[in-house]
Amino acid sequence: MTPRTLHTLAVAVLALAASAACRTGPASQPGDPMLDAIRAKERGGDLTYRESQGQHLFLRYCATCHGDEGRGDGQNASNLEPPPPDLTGPKSPQDVTYLTSVITQGSAAVGRSPLSPPWGRSLTHQQIEYLVVYCQSLGRKKPA
Amino acid sequence: MEVKNVAPPRLHVVFACLGVAFLLIFSWVLLHEGTTEWRSTQARFGRLQASVKNPHQLAQAASVGGLRQIWLPDLGRIDRCGTCHLGIDDPAFAAVPAPFATHPGTWLSTHPADRFGCTPCHDGQGGATDYTNAAHQPQPFVSRPMRPLETIEANCGACHRALDPPDAPRLAQGRRLIVEFGCFSCHEIPGFEGLTFRGPSLASIGYKVRSGWLAVWLHDPKAYLPQSKMGNFRLSTQEITSLQAFLLSQRAQPPLDSTGIDWKRADAANGRALFGELRCVSCHAVNGRGGTMGPELTKIGDKVQRDWLFSYLKDPHRVQPDTPMLQYRLTDEQLRDLTSFLFDEYGSAAAATEPPPVTYQDARLVAEGRAVFERRGCTSCHRLPGFKDTGRIGPSLAGIADRDPDELPYGSNIVRHTTDNYIFLKVLLPDTLGQPSSMPTFGFSPADAAQIALALASIRKADLPASYVVRRPAPAPYRPGGAFGELVDRYRCLSCHSVNGYGGDLSTVPFDRIGSQLRRDYVAKYLLNPGAVRVSVEARMPVFHMVPDEAKTIAEYFADVFVDDSLERYDARFTAVEVRRGQELYRRLGCQACHQLGTKGGYVGPELSTTGARLKPGWIAAWLSKPQTYRPDTLQPDYGLSPADARALTAYLSGSGADRTRGGNTP
Ligand code: HEC
Repeated sequence: MTPRTLHTLAVAVLALAASAACRTGPASQPGDPMLDAIRAKERGGDLTYRESQGQHLFLRYCATCHGDEGRGDGQNASNLEPPPPDLTGPKSPQDVTYLTSVITQGSAAVGRSPLSPPWGRSLTHQQIEYLVVYCQSLGRKKPA
Repeated sequence: MEVKNVAPPRLHVVFACLGVAFLLIFSWVLLHEGTTEWRSTQARFGRLQASVKNPHQLAQAASVGGLRQIWLPDLGRIDRCGTCHLGIDDPAFAAVPAPFATHPGTWLSTHPADRFGCTPCHDGQGGATDYTNAAHQPQPFVSRPMRPLETIEANCGACHRALDPPDAPRLAQGRRLIVEFGCFSCHEIPGFEGLTFRGPSLASIGYKVRSGWLAVWLHDPKAYLPQSKMGNFRLSTQEITSLQAFLLSQRAQPPLDSTGIDWKRADAANGRALFGELRCVSCHAVNGRGGTMGPELTKIGDKVQRDWLFSYLKDPHRVQPDTPMLQYRLTDEQLRDLTSFLFDEYGSAAAATEPPPVTYQDARLVAEGRAVFERRGCTSCHRLPGFKDTGRIGPSLAGIADRDPDELPYGSNIVRHTTDNYIFLKVLLPDTLGQPSSMPTFGFSPADAAQIALALASIRKADLPASYVVRRPAPAPYRPGGAFGELVDRYRCLSCHSVNGYGGDLSTVPFDRIGSQLRRDYVAKYLLNPGAVRVSVEARMPVFHMVPDEAKTIAEYFADVFVDDSLERYDARFTAVEVRRGQELYRRLGCQACHQLGTKGGYVGPELSTTGARLKPGWIAAWLSKPQTYRPDTLQPDYGLSPADARALTAYLSGSGADRTRGGNTP
């Protein structure tokens, strides 16, 4: 990146910050570019803090099978029978108890194949909770 | 003498007035106290509580009323947040609105409120008892209002000093960037002590690079290499010309002799094959793909001189003793083919015909360049003989998070004046803060700059009591001697593998107990021709072109030194029943989702059909039982196997692909 593109980028961020500030307060209110930069990155998909924590974990532990966006198209998906389901869209599972059991005890615990592994002993309760809210948030996305 | 009554009658009136005033003030105070915000909040809570099922004892007790506070003398804080956040530690209030809702997640069980309070994580004014004064939102004259969740990890960092603290991905990324870009080369940064960052040695750069490339690089490193770690120093044309002359005059050590090389006979096809086989991309990216330990190679032909590259590939340690780059055992013909391939594939024809405008004989220009080199602090990252260590050129960042935001410069940027915003702008655009700055522009994306700023925002002025601090592990350096030590040095094993936490983390196999994990004869064979154990992973063991004796030395050293007795004492006499049960378990647990065995299965984890020939049974059983004790961040889930189940799986896997596992651990 040349300094010029950088400058343009930064000005864009600052402008965004300023326009965000305009919406919430008087026109002259200055913005918080640092916050906006983090939001722009993580809330591009309109995620809350806890959902974005879940996203970090999902990318590490689940995306090889479920795909980076949870659409069931991870690089390992073609080796799985049954394949990982598309977790996006209104029909995806939303129930906290159901999601918590699948993630903690594996898909076998809800009467499906054993292919989604149990993470209950490897991840903390907090991490499982983050994953659950992230899986719920995937339901807000349109399916592929 | 006659005694007169000295008190004038007026005094009664004064007393009466005072009394009334006192009464008024007193009743006003009572009234005021009775109608404070927190009392009405608590009253609301009392009403709400009636509708909540099974509220917790504690909340009930609290709702009796009164200020609730947590006093943390060690941290010098008094937090009264609990006065209104009455359901905070009671799961029964999970679904009620703020301020009574339960604290989300398990944070209060890992960080109990009586030890950590509220403001050490959230900031804000803990002593206040109403919404506004508690600084839930930014307030004038309050330097630390409550942190929004996006940046709250800055406060995690105040106690958690590891580079990769748990559940704080933004902080971890910020710290990783600080290490990657070596910010501590120019700034003292508490928390990063003992870490070093080195740019390449420049002692012989005159033989290394093309002069045209040098000018482009000095003008803007990102123009040549978008991922460059070196910032843009915003040098003037004159500064660039003189620096170029000064650097080209650095010719301490000529490259190894390559005059006998017949470049016309170079076989680029063989070079391409070698490039693949040596696994160069494990560390070097080309065209956007590959590792990041070494420099990008996509335009390497435009940068360096051919003789230098040949010499470097032959013995990289001669040029730079502390490089992570290993020294392959290649013949001159192989080196020639490889060099030639790199030039053909990753260089443009224009650079090859560039005339060499050599200006380094101009003593005045060289002296001028030397002055620029010193003034801009190049020695902070690049070593050069004849320069003494002048320390860090940038100011210390100790206590940066507690700098007074109103005293910091923001230039013409229209931002709220907070320390966070200042740090962010300084990292992103150091030259826009209305003050002359010699800090280079690194060209971070706004998101990266924000994460770096977040990591820096955890550096407070007063250090916390030691009982709160979780230190960064500082592994002791490991430098083996003898024949094994020489091999570790030549092949730079520790660039990727670690011993007791010291070394690289590119490999998932540390040496600590490798002798009890891998079979000795497998190691000796593998080193001569390492294949991929895990097909989906890009970074792989290079083919070193080792000689068999070297491989044997390493295998024997592993088997003698890096052993874990608890793994060695495993009874590997398996019964046929155990093997069958293992096979059944393998299917039932769904191991095939991630592992290939035979022709079926996924490729997240290693291929398992040769497990018995590779791994010792004690290790297989231990790993399957508790994978996270050996690698906390492994993708292998802990299935909570009983010892009998772990044994059955071990029996099944040990049998696969190996006909010689009966003998147990003795290789
Ligand atoms: C080895 C591949 C793999 C990994 C890793 C994996 N899953 Fe799965 N997952 C699957 C497969 C396959 C299914 C479908 C199982 C079935 O239908 O029998 C599934 C199903 C699910 C379901 C049930 C969906 C539904 O419609 O009922 C959820 C939820 C889920 N996975 C979440 C996760 C989360 C969260 C992670 C990471 C912590 C994860 N999975 C990791 C392969 C995987």
